[in-house]
Amino acid sequence: MKNINSNIRIYKLHPSKTNNSGKYYSFVKILEKNSEKKKKEKRMGKKMLSLEEQCKIVNLLKSSSEQKSIEETVTEFFSDSNLRHFNVCYSLSFLLQDKMMLSSTERLVAFAILHRCYSSQKSAANPFISFLLNAACDDGAENYERAFILHLLGSGNSNDSKEFLKQSASDYIKNFDPSSQTFPQGEQLQQQYFEKVDPEPYTCLLKNTVVKNVLADPDVPRGCDANSAEHVSWLDLQPVAKSKLGSGDRDEALTGLMENLSLEGLIPHWIRPVPPRFPVDNELVWLNPDNNHELQWDQGMCADTSRGAAVRDLIAKALKGALEPNQQEQVLGELVKDPKLVYHCGLTPRKLPELVENNPLIAVDVLTKLINSPEIAEYFTVLVNMDMSLHSMEVVNRLTTAVELPKEFVRMYITNCISSCENIKDKYMQNRLVRLVCVFLQSLIRNKIIDVKDLFIEVQAFCIEFSRIREAAGLFRLLKTLE
Amino acid sequence: MDSRDSSSSSAPNRDGTAGDDDGVLSVTSALAKDAALHFQSGKFVECVDILNQLKPKKEDDPKVPHNIAIAEFFRDGCSDPKKLLEVLNNVKTTALHICLLMLDVALACHDASKSADVLNYLEKAFGIGNVSQGDNGNMVAQQSMNLVGKFSSVPSSTSVSDASTSDLVASVNAFENPLSRTLSEEPLDEMFSALDIGGQNLSRPAGLASSNDLPRTTVDRSISGVDLKLKLQLYKVRFLLLTRNLKLAKREVKHAMNIARGRDSSMALLLKAQLEYARGNHRKAIKLLMASSNRTDAAISSMFNNNLGCIYYQLGKYHTSAVFFSKALSNFSSLQKERPLKLLTFSQDKSLFIIYNCGLQYLACGKPILAARCFQKASLIFYKRPILWLRFAECCLMAVRKGLVKGSQASSERSEIRVSVIGKGRWRKLLIEDGISRNGLVGSVEKDDWVLGGGDGQPKLSLPLARQCLYNALHLLNSCEWSNSKSVLLSNSSFEENKLSDGASSNNSNNKNLPSIDAKSSTLSGGLVNLNGDLKEPKGGANQEIIQNSISYYEDICRRENQMIKQALLANLAYVELELENPLKALSAARSLLELPGCSRIYIFLGHVYVAEALCLLNKPNEAADHLSIYLSGGNNVELPFGQQDCEQWRVEKLVDCEEPNGGAAAAKNPSPEALQDFVFLNPEEARGTLYANLATVFAIQGELERAHHFVMQALSLVPNSSEATMTAIYVDLVLGKSQEALSKLKHSNHVRFLPSSLQLN
Repeated sequence: MKNINSNIRIYKLHPSKTNNSGKYYSFVKILEKNSEKKKKEKRMGKKMLSLEEQCKIVNLLKSSSEQKSIEETVTEFFSDSNLRHFNVCYSLSFLLQDKMMLSSTERLVAFAILHRCYSSQKSAANPFISFLLNAACDDGAENYERAFILHLLGSGNSNDSKEFLKQSASDYIKNFDPSSQTFPQGEQLQQQYFEKVDPEPYTCLLKNTVVKNVLADPDVPRGCDANSAEHVSWLDLQPVAKSKLGSGDRDEALTGLMENLSLEGLIPHWIRPVPPRFPVDNELVWLNPDNNHELQWDQGMCADTSRGAAVRDLIAKALKGALEPNQQEQVLGELVKDPKLVYHCGLTPRKLPELVENNPLIAVDVLTKLINSPEIAEYFTVLVNMDMSLHSMEVVNRLTTAVELPKEFVRMYITNCISSCENIKDKYMQNRLVRLVCVFLQSLIRNKIIDVKDLFIEVQAFCIEFSRIREAAGLFRLLKTLE
Repeated sequence: MDSRDSSSSSAPNRDGTAGDDDGVLSVTSALAKDAALHFQSGKFVECVDILNQLKPKKEDDPKVPHNIAIAEFFRDGCSDPKKLLEVLNNVKTTALHICLLMLDVALACHDASKSADVLNYLEKAFGIGNVSQGDNGNMVAQQSMNLVGKFSSVPSSTSVSDASTSDLVASVNAFENPLSRTLSEEPLDEMFSALDIGGQNLSRPAGLASSNDLPRTTVDRSISGVDLKLKLQLYKVRFLLLTRNLKLAKREVKHAMNIARGRDSSMALLLKAQLEYARGNHRKAIKLLMASSNRTDAAISSMFNNNLGCIYYQLGKYHTSAVFFSKALSNFSSLQKERPLKLLTFSQDKSLFIIYNCGLQYLACGKPILAARCFQKASLIFYKRPILWLRFAECCLMAVRKGLVKGSQASSERSEIRVSVIGKGRWRKLLIEDGISRNGLVGSVEKDDWVLGGGDGQPKLSLPLARQCLYNALHLLNSCEWSNSKSVLLSNSSFEENKLSDGASSNNSNNKNLPSIDAKSSTLSGGLVNLNGDLKEPKGGANQEIIQNSISYYEDICRRENQMIKQALLANLAYVELELENPLKALSAARSLLELPGCSRIYIFLGHVYVAEALCLLNKPNEAADHLSIYLSGGNNVELPFGQQDCEQWRVEKLVDCEEPNGGAAAAKNPSPEALQDFVFLNPEEARGTLYANLATVFAIQGELERAHHFVMQALSLVPNSSEATMTAIYVDLVLGKSQEALSKLKHSNHVRFLPSSLQLN
């Protein structure tokens, strides 16, 4: 019952194999021819035979039994160019496997067709050769059938040896003499007809292990044997058996099979899991409103910032002489209006002394506004080093109350004041300056801008040196009270 | 004019080099004035002409290339924003507003390191953007003063007193020697750089001024210190959300809310909603979203609807999300009717993003053709992302499986076993035909299946197209890996080491929750990520350090995401090649899949199954058996190829919340029924059944029929609905000669359809 189809050598054409050998040419051609009919086939699904082919074959087989010789039937078959011979042969081989489907005479005709189909080539090139050989060696088969196949295989191409085909199939069976035939072993036949075959062409194992996809499912009442003796006598009783319960119609089954045959048999199946859809994680796009960007022309290109221009003019004037009160107010007002203006009002540290001397109030205002600038230190350095004057001292004094000055700066400024007083030659000017410095220092001390301790010795020495001046004595007394 | 002349001559700088410029200055300023007039009257061609004359005379002035860039941009009808950005990028000194623009661009491009550069620059140049240090404005002001004080002051306008520094302008490198100005008492107001100085200097061309823009936040000079602080804080949150540093983002968004108190807090609320969405707190996200915005503006309500769509998608409510996405789209189309695309509003068009979201939603709802149309539209902006092509391939596979493609069969049809009942009575035969043998996919490939758009511009979904898309994605992924590998050599070396040492833990790398990172990633980011995946908080509040950590954390996330995508791509590719009957190509794809470091257990399972099938098709059943038998224990027993936890990733509801490790997680673990549909992959037991069935097939091919019988019976007990397993079982029965058993299996399988044979012949 191990009824595997693999004994039918169906060449699965693989791209790399097609040009291998001309031997398969005719077979390839058949397939090509088939592909021409592909469209038609598509409409019918993947069925082996068209309706037309089914009718022809069934009629051909039926008509073959008594009247016509086997040769006649076979010739008739091959003269019909509308038949796709491979498909038909494959269907026949399929039907032959089921010993009940075809009558004994029909079987002989079918075998003859299978053999003739590729008789123009070496027997080994016949795709059905192993099927034929197996049938010839099948101990369960009728002897006349086995002998018939051996005849076919031995006949080759010569016309003389085809004599036995000139009789009808039923005559062949009637005239068969079992004693006249010996049955060689399978291996022997294999060697004879099969050996010279090229190595097996590529076939897929998975598909090569095909099992026949037709199962008998006899629907007969319990107790009836589906394979009862009825079968043997079927040839003789032909039309009668029809009405019998559970018997069914052989023709119907035959045409049904023909109609549904397909190349594929059953194969073990592989489960090919579909890969899961990739998880959606951060893939969805979350939207946030855009920030609003506008492209803007930069008016500052190559141009003075005009707003500062007036102020810059006034500052330039302020370096040269005292401004009118209204001009001074304008500068101070503009500086308040635009806090950034101070950075481009045209003042540099180098120009500071001029501003201090000519317009100390503006200098105070500018320096106050620049106090957080990194350049303020530079301004301070300039301020410390400039010549002592009423105006510079006034500026520093006002600054001390307006902003917090670095201690180091204040100290250095005081030291400078003192040494300026000491170095001055003109007595009148010296007196004047000393008085100024004293007032300045008193103011610093009273306002707690400086810690007296830091400068005590220096200031004390100054007071003693200039004790002749009243303000110096006053400062000295102030120092003593703080001691 | 007079005053300018007098000022330039009467303000000699201390180097005494002034005055030389006087002649040039007057010519240039005249040209500049002309250019400005042309610009204002919308004559951009003339404007550019004059600017080009000006350029050689003022080579050091960044304002000239700036103005050229915008004049050319307007002249060309705003057609090339990319070029504009490139030019602005090259303007050496960078104004605050351009910084913000660049930040927006970088964030939109998901370019974390560029965003970080700009953030760092802002901090350095303007002394702002510190991570929440004190809520009081003075303190920040104080700090920023100190910070800026360290940097050199760069002259900005032509009138800056100290001309010696004007040489500096040329040498100023945007990032190393940042532009900053001396500070007054209002340091935050001082941040207008060279380009902005001078009050009303900035002006838009008359025709371009748009009054109907989105509610304007602030215009230029009117940015107050606090507003700017809020703005930058929000940028920081967006950066942290981009890099998925959720813990820090949470802290920073809180800080932003504090700053925004008493002001417009809608953006802060929106970001907070996004944060909660990212953390999986979907209900909270909805609440915040509701509170965040007035939805009278079409653009805002469109985004609002889109974001709600995202949330409902993540909740597994695809149909609700579909409603919101389509609302969002119609909001936008109404917007477009009122206001045609113009100038900078091109960036306001978010419809392609929404369309991409729609695509994902259609895919989740099992509508591959609609999904593919969406992805095709969105490909305008997403074409460089591997994931887009993966989604396309998924559309193809889904369409093929649903039988929506010419020549393909629905999977339901394929799994059907048809039995033709032929003849009657004792002649009755059953002819078995299964869907898998029936399918004729390969034959149906036609030439135009190979291109994305067919004649009608619609993608023609097919297996060959899927293959093409998968190759696209792999190519993109590999090229981006290659460029990454150049920049992160160090991390890669530690990655390699790790690969050798912990093969076992790599199996867990597909764990869903991003914060729970496997050992590998923690070494990648140089130990900055602790076991919970949170960035260690630097004590000193060093802003740059936080940004750097976020970047390496983000790069690490991206790397792992790309790895995941690669696994999916190779698995899909192997599958597609098998479907197209190319076992050799399938074999190589599946083998590459198995060679990926840190491959998830599900993909390892798929890899082995695909390799084994390809080997079988190549007549190497022994090797195929080897691949499957790694799951064998004790000879005849198959282990679970992966666990339930490996499937978590595919669940819709994510496990949350970081705050309540004991509480909230359990509730989130029960996805809604709709959500469960989404998980279409095999569960672990089914996967085990698959292995049993396939082992049975291998044994059957090898002729070990008894063993095949044992395995296929096991398979049927685990996957009773598998038509493949049923067919294998029937096959084994038939080969063993047990036709009665085969018959009874046929009759009991619910995949079998019995067809009466039609009697056409008479």
